[in-house]
Amino acid sequence: CTDDLNITPNDDDTLLGADLYEDEAAYERVIAGVYANLALTGTFGPESSNIEGIDAGTSQFGRVLLYLQTLTADQMIWSYENDPGTRELQRNIWTAQNPMILGMYSRTHLTISLANNFLRETTADKLDARSVSESVRADIVEYRAEARLLRALSYYYMMDLFGKANFGTEADAINTVLPVVERAELFQFIESELLDIESDLVDAGQNQYGRADKGVAYMILAKIYLNAEVYTGTPRYSDCLNYCQQLLNSGYVLASEYKNNFQADNNLNSANGEIIFPIISDGVTIQNYGPTTVMINGSVGSLEVNGAEVGVSEAAWGGAIRVRKEFAQLWEGGDFIDDDRNTIISADRPIGITDISDQSQGYIIQKYSNLSSDGVPGADQTFVDTDFPLFRLADVHLMYAEAHLRGGGGTISEAVNLVNDLRARANNPNTISAGELTLPFILDERSRELHWEAHRRQDLIRFGLFTGGNYNWAWKGNGSNGIAIPSHLNLFPIPNLSMSSNPNLTQNPGY
Amino acid sequence: QSTVTGTVTDKANAMPLPGVNVIIKGTARGTATDFDGKYSLEVNQGEIIVYSYVGYTPQEIEFTGQSNIDVAIEEDASQLEEVILIGYGTTTKKDATGSVDAVTSKDFTRGNIVTPENLLSGRVAGVTVNTSGAPGSGSEIKIRGGSSINASNNPLIVIDGLPITNDNVGGSRGVLASINPNDIDSFTVLKDASATAIYGSRASNGVIIIVTKKGRSEFSVDYDVQYTLGDIDEQIEVFSADEFRAQVIAQNLPNNFISQLGDANTDWQDEIFRKTVSVNHNVTVRGSLFNAIPARFSFGVTEQEGAILTSEFDRRNLSLSLNPTFFDNHLKVNLNTNLSYEDNRFGDSGQIGAALRYDPTQPVYDPSSPFGGFYQHRNGNTLLLGGSNPVAALLQTNNIGDSERFYGNINFDYKFHFLPEMKFVLNLGYDKTEGVSRNNSIYATNDPIKGNRSFSFQERTNQSLDGFLNYNKKFGTINTDLTAGYSYQRFTNEGHFTGNQRDPNSFGDTFADPDIVLIGFFGRANLTVAEKYLMTLTYRRDGTSRFSEDNRWGDFYAGAFAWKLSDEDFLKDSKTISNLKLRVGYGITGQQEIGERDLFLSRYQAGSNNSQYQFGNGVVSSLIPSEINPDLKWEETKTLEVGIDYGLFDEYVTGSLNVFQKDSEDLLFNAPVPDGSNFSNSIVQNIGNLRIQGLEFTLNTDVIRKEDFNLNFNFNATLLDREITELAFGQDVTTGGIAGGTGNFIQLFREGESPNSFYVFKQLRDTQGNYIEGAYVDLNGDNIINDEDRYLKENPDADVIFGFQTNLEYKGFDFSFNLRANIGNYVYNNVNSARAQFDLLRSDAVLGNIPTSVLDTNFQTTSDVILSDVYIENASFLKMDNITLGYTFKDLSKFIKSVRLWGGIQNVFTITEYSGLDPEVFNGIDNTIYPRPRNILIGANFKF
Repeated sequence: CTDDLNITPNDDDTLLGADLYEDEAAYERVIAGVYANLALTGTFGPESSNIEGIDAGTSQFGRVLLYLQTLTADQMIWSYENDPGTRELQRNIWTAQNPMILGMYSRTHLTISLANNFLRETTADKLDARSVSESVRADIVEYRAEARLLRALSYYYMMDLFGKANFGTEADAINTVLPVVERAELFQFIESELLDIESDLVDAGQNQYGRADKGVAYMILAKIYLNAEVYTGTPRYSDCLNYCQQLLNSGYVLASEYKNNFQADNNLNSANGEIIFPIISDGVTIQNYGPTTVMINGSVGSLEVNGAEVGVSEAAWGGAIRVRKEFAQLWEGGDFIDDDRNTIISADRPIGITDISDQSQGYIIQKYSNLSSDGVPGADQTFVDTDFPLFRLADVHLMYAEAHLRGGGGTISEAVNLVNDLRARANNPNTISAGELTLPFILDERSRELHWEAHRRQDLIRFGLFTGGNYNWAWKGNGSNGIAIPSHLNLFPIPNLSMSSNPNLTQNPGY
Repeated sequence: QSTVTGTVTDKANAMPLPGVNVIIKGTARGTATDFDGKYSLEVNQGEIIVYSYVGYTPQEIEFTGQSNIDVAIEEDASQLEEVILIGYGTTTKKDATGSVDAVTSKDFTRGNIVTPENLLSGRVAGVTVNTSGAPGSGSEIKIRGGSSINASNNPLIVIDGLPITNDNVGGSRGVLASINPNDIDSFTVLKDASATAIYGSRASNGVIIIVTKKGRSEFSVDYDVQYTLGDIDEQIEVFSADEFRAQVIAQNLPNNFISQLGDANTDWQDEIFRKTVSVNHNVTVRGSLFNAIPARFSFGVTEQEGAILTSEFDRRNLSLSLNPTFFDNHLKVNLNTNLSYEDNRFGDSGQIGAALRYDPTQPVYDPSSPFGGFYQHRNGNTLLLGGSNPVAALLQTNNIGDSERFYGNINFDYKFHFLPEMKFVLNLGYDKTEGVSRNNSIYATNDPIKGNRSFSFQERTNQSLDGFLNYNKKFGTINTDLTAGYSYQRFTNEGHFTGNQRDPNSFGDTFADPDIVLIGFFGRANLTVAEKYLMTLTYRRDGTSRFSEDNRWGDFYAGAFAWKLSDEDFLKDSKTISNLKLRVGYGITGQQEIGERDLFLSRYQAGSNNSQYQFGNGVVSSLIPSEINPDLKWEETKTLEVGIDYGLFDEYVTGSLNVFQKDSEDLLFNAPVPDGSNFSNSIVQNIGNLRIQGLEFTLNTDVIRKEDFNLNFNFNATLLDREITELAFGQDVTTGGIAGGTGNFIQLFREGESPNSFYVFKQLRDTQGNYIEGAYVDLNGDNIINDEDRYLKENPDADVIFGFQTNLEYKGFDFSFNLRANIGNYVYNNVNSARAQFDLLRSDAVLGNIPTSVLDTNFQTTSDVILSDVYIENASFLKMDNITLGYTFKDLSKFIKSVRLWGGIQNVFTITEYSGLDPEVFNGIDNTIYPRPRNILIGANFKF
């Protein structure tokens, strides 16, 4: 009469780990679950979350990444500073209590945990024991490589943002206190993993949309080599340039129009030759408060009420996001009037922001849209269909040019061509010459091409301009005209909750 | 010898009393009355018959040849031997070793009582009942503040032996809302571990045992009717239309806003609140069914209007109780069945906030409006951003919830023929609620989808079986009372919903929670030596389906000793002290009631239809493993209590004093796990300790106790201090979500502090004492004002809680009122913190109203001040909940035994310095609560 205490789930959407893999279709669904953690925050819709300490919707991977890489720098301002954590981030006065910083640390480690789980469940022994068919086994080889790729991607962001991570692999059991690995060691791990899995990954650009392939591995490698000096003190620009070259040789093509990359059908239109890896959003099946939903709704102006122009409800979020003065100034001087990348709306607005809560100050932009390339609005008025281009080919063009300038090899003519390709694609007739291709130019051109794509903080750090006082943008350091900030802010603090649960973690210096 | 027969009745109400001992004095010969109060006895001339019954004054009558002796015996207040339930048994107040309080129907709080817990409000030291103003809505009931943090703080409620769940179904107002208070005979509140341990697994927050009224043989009919007229007497002060126009201009709003000012003068709160009329009817019939089965049948109808437009609560209750006995009273059967039908229309209380905000210069109606003729902020047919008309929102929403509930139990109590001191009790209980919600609403929106049409269904069941053996015998001066038993309970919950049928992208689903199964084995020994020294030992072993096989069993035990000093020789003859009992008890109780039902299992969750993933251009139903903790085990609460029960001056003054300390250990606490080691960053674990120290004092005085003149006072006081003594890794945990900002919070759990302490910035003032907006004290002195400068200020729990009631009966008149006071409870005024800033005169694209309290602070920007400590207010209060006056006409005619007419007021007054609407809010965060209307009541009670 005590056997009744052995309960099992009654809901048909809850499956017991012990029974799940009897169905071979489960492997695809479980690897999809690892990917889904980049797009979803939970399994019960956009307001659900499987991590805590941060608002559910805000905890989306791409969203916290955007906050940490873009909101902390010179391109974006968030009007509603009573959303906890936003004020401290965009004024560079964050602490280890910040919920967004926690969200980034925890959400990313969850991907690591999910990837490790997949690897544990697909060992040869387990597949033998379950007598998995040959065809599914072949798929699983790819899936395993992708799980390791997603894990490496996660460690890459931890290395970049925090300089360390809880280090777990498939060898670690659930609920163990994990060792902590510092920046240099993370660098080695990411590099060796990506090289190790290359042969098992699908060729670049050849995998199903939404799945990662060699192109993503090359992209991460190019990124860690580009920033290697920051991470390890040792420059690796030629390695960066080699992987950029490999990507350029992989059959990717720039979208025919710049804006295709940011439209509701960017999984189907010409952007699908350019986007190397997306964070997926869908108004019906993959609803999330991720970066595209936030930026499209948020950038609708409070005065312009231009939501219909970008396929969301007219007033949307009433001017939640605007741009800072320094970003707006990148488009001044007449060279960019017809540049497709210039989506600034400035009418009746002052360029500067003296009161962050006043949504009528500062310019707005219209980069992302929930309209398709044919002008058809997405399925939902809030949750957009637009995927976030986490990695895209244009970035490779600019990385090549930068790596070349920093001594990574290649040719100047190729570098200039790659930069001018982007201008030509943006219908900007003002191409540049080899003499104009300088590092400061690259930094500005990266902002013009890649703004609001979660690269900016990393770029400014590589150029030595994020902390210190060499470049003070509006509201940097909590001053409306910008003031210097200390160098320890180049790394984020380890969140208090994460510190408390893992005694192996030590706080980053300065916090 | 002759045979004498007769009936023994209760002098107070002429009701027959079953189980009265009828014994010939000085002999062992005797009998007991049956369920109809009847007895039959062989008796000799000149012998004296003694009629005795627990709690009543014995009566002696000499037999002088009468064939029939009817006796009316009287309750003996001085004995105070009221029978009280202690879970799987009974005791008397005098013999109780634990902290137990009983409230019977004659002591119930009077007033507009729609849900049963309000009968208890303010009556028992250590028990708080906090009810929302919404009609028929649920209450937060806490005994001694609750002993958990993340796990449940609800007491266990047992109705006629059936422990009920605290979980409501959609469509119903609350789990107690379907119970007719008129059917309740008594509440017994078990507070300390020795009293509650018999319920081991679920006893940490105390136990409330509810007994419903039972059948009787004598025929009687009762009819109660009550009308309630309610009115909201207080509103949150916002600018009137004229003041608003002046403010908009004074604040230099841009011209495109000033031009939006209208000519109307609308008080939006007046528009959404209304005067209410509510009616209650109850008919109770008692009598003998087929001349053999004592029965009670009751029918109740409640129709209650909510103070918000459209809000309504209707309920119909049917209850039948059959109480036959068999085999010479050896087998007693009690069958209780209840049916309840609840029909609700939910008025969205969120519109209270919308009404505070809506532009007072605009009218309610606008004949040219395409939105149902209601005014909306619009540009032609396009709505502007900034809120919609709250009256329209209420009237255009039709959100209906119906629930049907059946609950009941059958109880067999068999006294063995061959061993009458042994009995076996079997109780089978069943509780099933089906809730249906239907929504058919229109919204003013620019979306192509103009409203919501949805349907949902939910069914909860609760099955229980309890059986126990009880052996009760006196050996010399030692009385033994031994109980051993088994308990089984299963809870289920399932249902389905459609999503919005007007929205092609909305979807439905079915859901089914894992069952909860609880199994317990229990035993209790009560030993009484020389009727002075009492000892209770309790043991219970409990299993729960919530934990893994290795951790699911918990052992809970308790011991208590009591010494009846007043029965000792040195006090026996005291004129002053009529009763004095010392109690000491210690015990361990358990807690397993967390939201998660299967956290120990390795599970994967398929995403709902809007939480899928995409491979290629096809949708993949992704599977994500769920967080897991196979190590979860019981949270344990250790309670030590010392108490005194006293009676003075022939029990004119009675009461008790309890001092207790509760330590909850291995708290089921949602705490961080190392990132990357689980499928969440935070899971429920057994981490943390909570200490509760308290003192309870009760004083009842019968100032006047005469035939037709009674006056009594009941006073209780509770001092309570809750402190978190340990948290996971010493880490603060945020809690207390507030309005204003996405994911904003205002409270913290921190070691060494009270739970839910407010976590705020310290506001700076200038030399004149005016607030400097956005300027806070740099508490850590690092010249940066950031999160590190927040500090803890006060907490929502009261330090001291007082309750006071008085009842006066003079001839036919009765008069009563009660008072409640909380001292030292603080509230975060979220109404002001998120609303009272001048920037908010603009509500996105339109104008919006704000509270006039902005004039006290002159604050401009919400985000600069929302976490300021100026919004933490002392919310100590004194409230008079109810005052009633009645008159009873007796023996009006052959048919009408009595008629009582009465009137009263509910929510009479509140004295407080708190600036918000009502200092009594849930969890200390005031965010436009549903106001509690002041009600005027009139009623009549007819007895036939």
